[in-house]
Amino acid sequence: MPHLEIHDLTVSYEKNKPTLERFSLNVEQGELLSLLGPSGCGKTTTLRSVAGFIQPDAGRIVINDRDYTRLPPNKRDIGLVFQSYALFPHLTVFYNVAFGLRMRRIPKAEVHSRVSNALKMVGLEAFADRRPSQLSGGQQQRVALARATVIEPQVLLLDEPLSNLDARLRVDMRQEIRRLQQQLGITTLYVTHDQVEAMSISDRVVVMNQGAIEQIGTPERIFAAPETVFVADFMGFDNHFSAAVLSVKDGKLTVNWGGAPIELQWRSKLGSPHPGARAEIFFRADNASLLAGTERQGLPGQVILHTFHGNSLRYLVETQVGEFSIMQDSASERFEPGAAVRVRPHTEKWIAILEET
Amino acid sequence: MISRWMYISLVILYCFLLGPFIIIFMASFGANANLAFPPQGFTLDWFANVFETSQFIDSFWISLQLALLSTIVSLVMGMPVAYALTRFDFAASGTVETVFSAPILVPGLVIGFAMLNFFVLLGDMQVMTGLFIGHTAILFPYSVRVISASLRNLDPYVEDAAVSLGANRLRGFLLVVLPNMQAGIAAAFVLGFITSFNNVPVSLFLSGPGVTTLPVSMLSYLEYYFDPTIAALSTLLVIFTVVLVQAAERVLGLSQFV
Repeated sequence: MPHLEIHDLTVSYEKNKPTLERFSLNVEQGELLSLLGPSGCGKTTTLRSVAGFIQPDAGRIVINDRDYTRLPPNKRDIGLVFQSYALFPHLTVFYNVAFGLRMRRIPKAEVHSRVSNALKMVGLEAFADRRPSQLSGGQQQRVALARATVIEPQVLLLDEPLSNLDARLRVDMRQEIRRLQQQLGITTLYVTHDQVEAMSISDRVVVMNQGAIEQIGTPERIFAAPETVFVADFMGFDNHFSAAVLSVKDGKLTVNWGGAPIELQWRSKLGSPHPGARAEIFFRADNASLLAGTERQGLPGQVILHTFHGNSLRYLVETQVGEFSIMQDSASERFEPGAAVRVRPHTEKWIAILEET
Repeated sequence: MISRWMYISLVILYCFLLGPFIIIFMASFGANANLAFPPQGFTLDWFANVFETSQFIDSFWISLQLALLSTIVSLVMGMPVAYALTRFDFAASGTVETVFSAPILVPGLVIGFAMLNFFVLLGDMQVMTGLFIGHTAILFPYSVRVISASLRNLDPYVEDAAVSLGANRLRGFLLVVLPNMQAGIAAAFVLGFITSFNNVPVSLFLSGPGVTTLPVSMLSYLEYYFDPTIAALSTLLVIFTVVLVQAAERVLGLSQFV
């Protein structure tokens, strides 16, 4: 049985324009689930509804088999971490973390040991007497984490917790959050607009768009096999083109790629595609390779430019089907701008998506 | 070179700021019956005269009561307004803010005159009540402004954080918001107190027989006498204000805010 259940949640700020419409989701005990999507997709609204700050128009929120929908936010037993950290500026780190325990009237000695323990877990035991303003952004975020987890909440909610940190610190804090979450085994809902962050930290990812779920699955699954054009775009598939379906056979469909037929796996919410239907085809820059123009196989094209990315070079290649980004190992043969090349597709990793237009 | 010019302009600035006061200060000890500079002789008679002039003593107590009362009431009224203006983004918030700052923008004499007419229209009103209402009205925008400024520095999500940790809305406000408004409230208090205590234009219109504020009674004293008593009183008032601000600074740590 899931630990956190969201049933048919509907929230509208404006009349007849719901931000969330009949949104349902289950989170398992101890799972870290990310809500991923662009701003305005309803992910923060979902989070704030679970926290109790938004009263939904309809639907239910159930945690550990208990209906939370009408419970005020201060009675919910939920740990909340904010993008802005929202630490109490007039209290020391110790009293920031102790706040929730004091609200629960826990005896002093126990408060002391639990706060010390929580601070140790985030590596800040030496900073207990500092004020938040004397800490760096990363340290402040750790205090916020300790403050939200020390109360041993049913569910931990994180709202874009790393957005205010610089890129390098974000990677460290990502691991820190994941480690803490697994150590505590706490059911967690993580809101982010950063797909790399969601991929790296989650057990499962929910991609949201306009108040509805586009796709839900493991990071690997969503990364490799997006089911909608929106997800493919959002997951950073570098290349996209449209083509007509020629035939469908054995779970694969065939399209024309510059005169040569290629066989692709497909996703569709409309049932099996039929010949003539329009397929949106996506592939990543590393799922094709460049050959010298003198080769016989592959689609002919011309190098427009290349950019250096350490271990790899990224080429922009113009072909009769369109312009494509293609990554090559830096050590492999180089092609200068203007060079004639052939593009060999690694079609086993390409994906064709069929949608209503 | 720059630092020398800055130094010189600083000295000139201080001369203009402090010079008149130094003259008054010295003149208050002069033995001559006319306010004169440089003073001749030395006497403390004029200070004694301040305390013997019942007009000053009475109006000092009125000014003190008036300043305390109207400052506190304007703070109590200003806090919820400041809170609403900074926390809720409602359609009319811009308009409301402008309306609340009107008394800062309108000349004091105009306010005083308008209030006098208004109170006369209302009928029989005690002089003290009129003064209290007038002063509260002119202090109110200062309270709102200064407290709003301190609230704008506070992350609005700290209240949600407190609530998510188990505090109800009221406790969240008392335990998290209020302590962070402390400096703003203290600053608004000192600013309001001094503004009320020094106010002339509004008090001028609203004073009545037997009920006068200290600045107004000083003004009317000057119409009849030109002896150093006024200088002595001014010296005492400056000392009073400096002590007040210093005490507030010590107790409340204002410098971090103003």
